[in-house]
Amino acid sequence: MDTFGHLATGLAAAMSLQNLGFALIGCVLGTLVGVLPGLGPAAGTAILIPLTFKLDPVGALIMLSAIYYGAMYGGTITSVLINVPGEAASVITCFDGNQMAKQGRGGTALGIAAIGSFVGGIAATIALIAVAPPLARLALSFGPPEFFALMLVGLALITGLGGRSLLAGLVMAVLGLLIAMVGIDPVRGAPRFTLGIPSLYDGVGFIPVVMGLFGIAEILLTVEKPYRQVIKTKLTSLIPSREEWRRSLGAIGRGTGIGFFLGLIPGVGAIIPTFVAYVVEKRVSKTPERFGQGAIEGVAAPETANNAYANAAMIPLLTLGIPSSPTIAVLMGAFIINGLTPGPFLFKERPDLVWAVIASFMIGNMMLLVLNLPFVGVWARLLHLPYQYVSVGTLLFCIIGAYSLQQSVFDVGVMIACGLIGYCLRKIDLPVAPLVLGLILGPFIEKSLRTSLEMSGGDFSIFATRPLCLGLLVVAVLVLVGSLLRLPPPEVRQSSA
Amino acid sequence: MRRGRLVACVSLLGLFLAALVTSLDYSLTDALGPGPGFFPFWLSLIGAVLTVAMLIEDARSQDATSILPNRQALLQGGAVLVALTVAAALLEPLGFRLTMLLFIPGLLLALGARSPSAILLTAAAGSFGVFHVFYYWLKVPLPIGALGL
Amino acid sequence: MISRILVTISGAALGLAAATGSAGAQDFPNKPVQLMVAYPAGGSTDVGARIVAAIAEKALGQPIVVVNKGGAGGQVGWTEMVRQRPDGYYIGYINLPATNTVILDPDRKAIFTEKDFTPIINQVLDPGVIWVRADSPYKTVHDLIDGAKKAPNTIRTATTGILSDDHLAILMTEEAAPGAVFRLVHLEGGAAQLKEIMAGNIDAAFDNVGSIMTRVKSGEVRALAVMDDVRSKFLPEVPTMKELGYPTVMSNSTRGIAGPKGMPEPILNKLREVLKQAMDDPEHVGKLESQGLAIKVMVGDEYARYFLDTHAKAKKYTEWAKSRPQR
Repeated sequence: MDTFGHLATGLAAAMSLQNLGFALIGCVLGTLVGVLPGLGPAAGTAILIPLTFKLDPVGALIMLSAIYYGAMYGGTITSVLINVPGEAASVITCFDGNQMAKQGRGGTALGIAAIGSFVGGIAATIALIAVAPPLARLALSFGPPEFFALMLVGLALITGLGGRSLLAGLVMAVLGLLIAMVGIDPVRGAPRFTLGIPSLYDGVGFIPVVMGLFGIAEILLTVEKPYRQVIKTKLTSLIPSREEWRRSLGAIGRGTGIGFFLGLIPGVGAIIPTFVAYVVEKRVSKTPERFGQGAIEGVAAPETANNAYANAAMIPLLTLGIPSSPTIAVLMGAFIINGLTPGPFLFKERPDLVWAVIASFMIGNMMLLVLNLPFVGVWARLLHLPYQYVSVGTLLFCIIGAYSLQQSVFDVGVMIACGLIGYCLRKIDLPVAPLVLGLILGPFIEKSLRTSLEMSGGDFSIFATRPLCLGLLVVAVLVLVGSLLRLPPPEVRQSSA
Repeated sequence: MRRGRLVACVSLLGLFLAALVTSLDYSLTDALGPGPGFFPFWLSLIGAVLTVAMLIEDARSQDATSILPNRQALLQGGAVLVALTVAAALLEPLGFRLTMLLFIPGLLLALGARSPSAILLTAAAGSFGVFHVFYYWLKVPLPIGALGL
Repeated sequence: MISRILVTISGAALGLAAATGSAGAQDFPNKPVQLMVAYPAGGSTDVGARIVAAIAEKALGQPIVVVNKGGAGGQVGWTEMVRQRPDGYYIGYINLPATNTVILDPDRKAIFTEKDFTPIINQVLDPGVIWVRADSPYKTVHDLIDGAKKAPNTIRTATTGILSDDHLAILMTEEAAPGAVFRLVHLEGGAAQLKEIMAGNIDAAFDNVGSIMTRVKSGEVRALAVMDDVRSKFLPEVPTMKELGYPTVMSNSTRGIAGPKGMPEPILNKLREVLKQAMDDPEHVGKLESQGLAIKVMVGDEYARYFLDTHAKAKKYTEWAKSRPQR
């Protein structure tokens, strides 16, 4: 049976009333999981696994997959509206999304995010259908050395975020990388910089830090203003203007490509595609100074990349049985509990099942769009409540979010401290974005370097003898040189991201 | 701005230097390559150098705008921070519901909310309502304190 | 007058204390019980915990809420547990030998020792397994070990983490086959192992049956040996290290439930009874076995002894791991 034959059968199965219902429930639950604080997609999916025990395997998988990419969208809502990333992958959306909301264009931001997600998701699913197995094999050639090189590319890209002052951006990035070193080190497995506090053994905790740096800092900044409105202007049209459409198109296209390719590489977490898409978009833009001030591409790019990534990441799972991220590992566990082991064997032996699930991705993506677009206006209007209630609501949200990660008050404390720090940083115009990105990349860089050296027995030439790795290293150097050459003269004032 | 930046630079410098010293406790090299102290050492060093450069650049700037928070910012921002800290401290001893029952109206009033019914409703929903949803429906545990709430 | 009041009050207080003391055991549980898992949600231990909790809470009469307190390979969760009151309302999973190595590793500065836990009941015993890619040149364990002797420190062998049971198992193998030296690569978890083996970046991996059972069945990987007393019921064609002439190489990963030390006997008994019943339940057995997880229920003293045995064994290899230079 050829591919289209499979797809047709799959679609027929996926469109059964029962499976449509499961996809719907999954999308709704997933969006809720994404919106709710602290409950990341991994935990949310895990908690809902027992729900699926009573269902048939295909139905269960359709529902769980829908929960997964539904959660990706849910996190966007809080990022845009209250500058609190609902989950790690939504951090980048905060930069421009929240600015747009404050300018009364929150609805537009959510709308373009929904549309971009839809396009990214569908494109990735189509690519999945067309080229799954060969592409997956390609992704396998990404080992620890290639990963390390890729992270260096990421690091080089950060220099493009410095904005007003390259120096400030670099300092913040270095600070972020350093903070990422707190915890158990990948070399000896011994605690480092933990000041004897066991809660720090696993590192400073990314989510509490960003909730503080973004969400709480935002509130502290809000309450010092004289007016009683969180948003400066009235809610304007929900539909993007023609100009905004034009700008978003490119962003969506690039975001799809970036998200898709990074989704194929196992081990790349969901944040990386969003940040790469954002920085690339800023680079190719003729007016990069708009980024961080409410540029619609700054929302379209990461959101599209996010969803393209989520769908593409299913490829290594379904074709090779390799989960790309902890969340997908949970999905894989769900498959296994339901008696199906994803991998080449399943792909060959039970194509009916696999294709039904793949077909349901397309349907699910469509459902997400249909479900979310109408509500965009509702969500955006929430911001128009009196600011006391919005602020207290947000804080409640943040407390639950930070606490429920590990049932730890320490995390709440970290969040509060970062709130104060974020407030101070904003006041003195030190950019927060490079700090966050350093925090994200740090662990990846060190771990992949270490694993590469363990593999080679201490031989550094492993980085030069593997062609893909060497290629990426060259790219990293090129990007870095490119950033330095683009440095604007110091008198030109630009805003920091 | 200038003063704020200078203060920040000095604090950052202090942080980097402290990290530098601490990283010396961990071995810099290992049989296979960089040891646990390698990256922290070099990062702190680079960070310190860059901060000094930033310090010099900021010392030369003429930006005299004050960034000190005005009275309102201090009162309201302070209220937020104090409320958060107290809530965090009471979260486990008193339990989620009681703590939120105190936190929500307390902060709402401090920020200027005036409608008693809205405040009470929000307090009830935010404490007991939210707890019920998370604990019983979602099975996400929120703290239950000494008084059983 | 005052003294009479004082006597009445103290009498009432004592009576109340006595009543709540014994009532504690008699009406246990009267509020939800928290079951702590020292790893993030979705992991193998977590899923097993949720399955048990869903079944056991019906017999217990109160909800059993699974609490994830992941971090530092479990240390964060276990640190939290030993600080709780031993009243039966906070129990959690301990994973052996992970818990043991955390205690034994001086760098970890664990605030607990093996005496700070009350073992309640064990759920899963997942034996260690050595595996390679299906098309690997190593067809048997002897091939692998010979290779490691002929070219010491070249065979890239993966563990699932520093000081994991797999790491200790590799050291056990080197001890049992003098001259064999493996090049250790510490990956994070079984999925990473699968990926690197498939990609050809790793030559062999030490993990547990549960992680790769389904892959062996589908023919993607080849299991060379199982490190247990008897053959695994999930992989009956795979010989044990004992059969192959290496009886000292015995390694596994267990998951069981424990509480802080000092739990009263009546509460312990109630918990053991309810949990054992849940673990014997066919639905529980079915769900776990579909993942290749072998259930081995050990209750009470049997489990406590097992804990101490594992501890003694882990001590030797942990010291060895910490002392030898990273090659």
